[in-house]
Amino acid sequence: MTMSDRTISILEGNNFVVSDLRGDIDASPTEPLGLFAWDTRFLSRWLLTVDGQRPNVLSTDDLDYFYVQFFLVPGTGTIYVDADLSIIRKRAVGNGFHEDLTILNHKDQPVDLKVRIEAAADFADLFEVKDALKKKGEFYHRVENDRLVLGYRREKFTRETLIAASARADIDEHGLSFAVHMEPHGEWTTCLEVVTGLGGFGEYHEETTYRHGDQRARSNVKMSLKKAGEAIPRLSSDWPSLQVTYHRSIIDLAALRFYAMTLPEHALPAAGLPWFMTLFGRDSMIASYQALPFGSNLAITTLRALAQRQGTRIDDFRDEEPGKILHEARFGEMTAFEERPHSPYYGAADVTPFFLILLDEVERWTGNAELARQLELEARAALRWIDEYGDRNGDGYVEYSRRNKETGLENQCWKDSWNSILFADGTLSRLPRATCEIQGYVYDAKMRSARLAREFWNDPALADRLEKEAAELKRRFNQDFWLKDREFFALAIDGDGRKVDSLTSNIGHLLWSGIVDEDKVEAVVRHLMGPRLYSGWGVRTMAEGEGGYNPIGYHVGTVWPHDNSFIAMGLRRYGYREEAARVAMNMLEAATYFKGRLPEAFAGYPRELTEFPVEYPTACSPQAWASGAPLLLLRAILGLEPIGDHLIVDPAIPSTLGRLELLDIPGRWGHIDAFGRGRVDTSVVGGKLQPGTL
Amino acid sequence: MIDTTQAFFEHLAERGYEPLLHSISGTIQWKIQDAGNWFVVVKNGKLTTSRNMAQADCVCECSKEDFDRMVMGKQNPTTLYFQGKMKITGDLEFVQVFQRLFPDESLSGVEQGKKESR
Repeated sequence: MTMSDRTISILEGNNFVVSDLRGDIDASPTEPLGLFAWDTRFLSRWLLTVDGQRPNVLSTDDLDYFYVQFFLVPGTGTIYVDADLSIIRKRAVGNGFHEDLTILNHKDQPVDLKVRIEAAADFADLFEVKDALKKKGEFYHRVENDRLVLGYRREKFTRETLIAASARADIDEHGLSFAVHMEPHGEWTTCLEVVTGLGGFGEYHEETTYRHGDQRARSNVKMSLKKAGEAIPRLSSDWPSLQVTYHRSIIDLAALRFYAMTLPEHALPAAGLPWFMTLFGRDSMIASYQALPFGSNLAITTLRALAQRQGTRIDDFRDEEPGKILHEARFGEMTAFEERPHSPYYGAADVTPFFLILLDEVERWTGNAELARQLELEARAALRWIDEYGDRNGDGYVEYSRRNKETGLENQCWKDSWNSILFADGTLSRLPRATCEIQGYVYDAKMRSARLAREFWNDPALADRLEKEAAELKRRFNQDFWLKDREFFALAIDGDGRKVDSLTSNIGHLLWSGIVDEDKVEAVVRHLMGPRLYSGWGVRTMAEGEGGYNPIGYHVGTVWPHDNSFIAMGLRRYGYREEAARVAMNMLEAATYFKGRLPEAFAGYPRELTEFPVEYPTACSPQAWASGAPLLLLRAILGLEPIGDHLIVDPAIPSTLGRLELLDIPGRWGHIDAFGRGRVDTSVVGGKLQPGTL
Repeated sequence: MIDTTQAFFEHLAERGYEPLLHSISGTIQWKIQDAGNWFVVVKNGKLTTSRNMAQADCVCECSKEDFDRMVMGKQNPTTLYFQGKMKITGDLEFVQVFQRLFPDESLSGVEQGKKESR
């Protein structure tokens, strides 16, 4: 579970509750609280009063990701009065939630109380929650069989919230009232069951997952951390913060596990908690890739789920094309009635090549030849997409421009805010845009697919063709995207054929892909580690001094942990071991300011200015690819690389970490231990003394 | 006039093999109001159809109008399901892959595999 200053979230899959610290839900456009499932809010109001007063909170305990306890006292206007009653709420989420409400009487006299739960449901689609859009269907409620039914109907689309109590209650259409009598030092308790019902959707439950007194994960035994066959490698180092970050990452990735309706037995990583608990092509694959040295199940399930939903038709509304891998899947009313395109939405140009990269990478780690063969047709369709649809104008580069002009995404790369692809003078580039890192991914995807074609698809002719195309792409890319005078690669080539000349972190992804000619690497690394891009905590999305630079602009100046984990791998790929160690160390240092949980992004202020990383306020925490970043950084500094049936270990470890051990790394080799001693003084890497040593 | 529902299933039988369904094996039953039952047996992409079988791994139920709209490319199968207008019982993974057969190009006149017109 996660707690902010004012709200607390618990979740199981895409079912989650965001409440205040009392456990109450009182949703408003500015406070998106509620009980949510399948992208729909099933409770927008859930208020407890005792004798007409809302209680005060003593403490809120996060015991598990799906379970929370609230300790309250009756409202008296001040919390400094000794209370003679205690109120305890224990809540477990799963197919709705189960809440145990207990009141303790500390007095020597009997007491009579009026306890009430106010309940209401607006059945808002997640997309509506912040926009306060008017609903198009009709609401209804009824009291039946000792339960309150709150309902919403639009044609045959129905959503119902079923509310029942174990103690005797007077039920009306706005809630439940209890006349409570307690003896001296007595106790009163009731269970409250709130069930989320989805009509005609195969998800209509009659019961919540958890029953009275349950505190242990049940159906989500499957969500427990140490699933049989997937033990986590053990980590130790001389820098205790590293273990904290490592364990935080592993636990958060477990909480972010999501079960697709079509693959109910296998987990894949959702993008972010709680609002992005769904399948995202990009986020799910990136987090799976980052986690590969620590377990391959997430990646295998992600590939299977994405392959099932691979595009097969041309559909302008969904930006779907044959062979394309999806961007985002949603299940709410606006998606159902095609007011939003997420059924699923395919507006991403980088995820299809990334699908091929991940398929190859999984085979390299696991030796899972069966998967490489099972997904051969999907992989071939993805390759066809790259050439036939990704390359829209036949210039040899993949560029994007949305088919859905109303609700589609303008930017279909990872920097997907509308104003991310800017010229150095701050002006916006024109569509369609061919961003540089996508060309890198295509190069890598073709090289890797050539290997798959030769080794598993029995098609050496395809392999030869792909390698030839990749070589040609690399040759042309190094000419067409290179900015001679500034000595780095353009962020993109835009719809007018102009080079988008801002200096950005995207050039680090080019190193990761291997598309950079040797004679240009030194300049690229110099820019990445130079003061304009490097903040002291990591590489900024956009360099200081560019026209569009803003240290708190989402994709134009902030520092993203997942971005930096790919950059560190890119530096390693080209032999810049010490620079990779510095990027890793600085990011791991940043994590210590967040108790080991890296945020999605933090501000691009220079390290010496703020002395601590300033979190960029995003709605979700944890985010899967931020949780995965420390894992990929560990791979980078240990130099883990599968070659044939062996795992190469070639450490370049920051001296701060001392001796670093990672034991029982799973893969086609069985289990291998990796260890090394920290010898890289990261405070002097990159030619510039790091702040703090000045 | 050709009946769209019937033509869809006849085309499947004629096709015999559909690479888009290579990954699934099993039987799907289409229970179409006012058009009766259609069964499609898939074995790693190989297709046979029948009007009468004892069992299916998944059952999809919808109106003939909605079914024909899917065949013609006027209705997306996923949103039909989300709207509650198509009931699915059984193996959802199978249905997820099977829905790739919509629309039927020869009936809808929509030629797939064509680039966006510019």
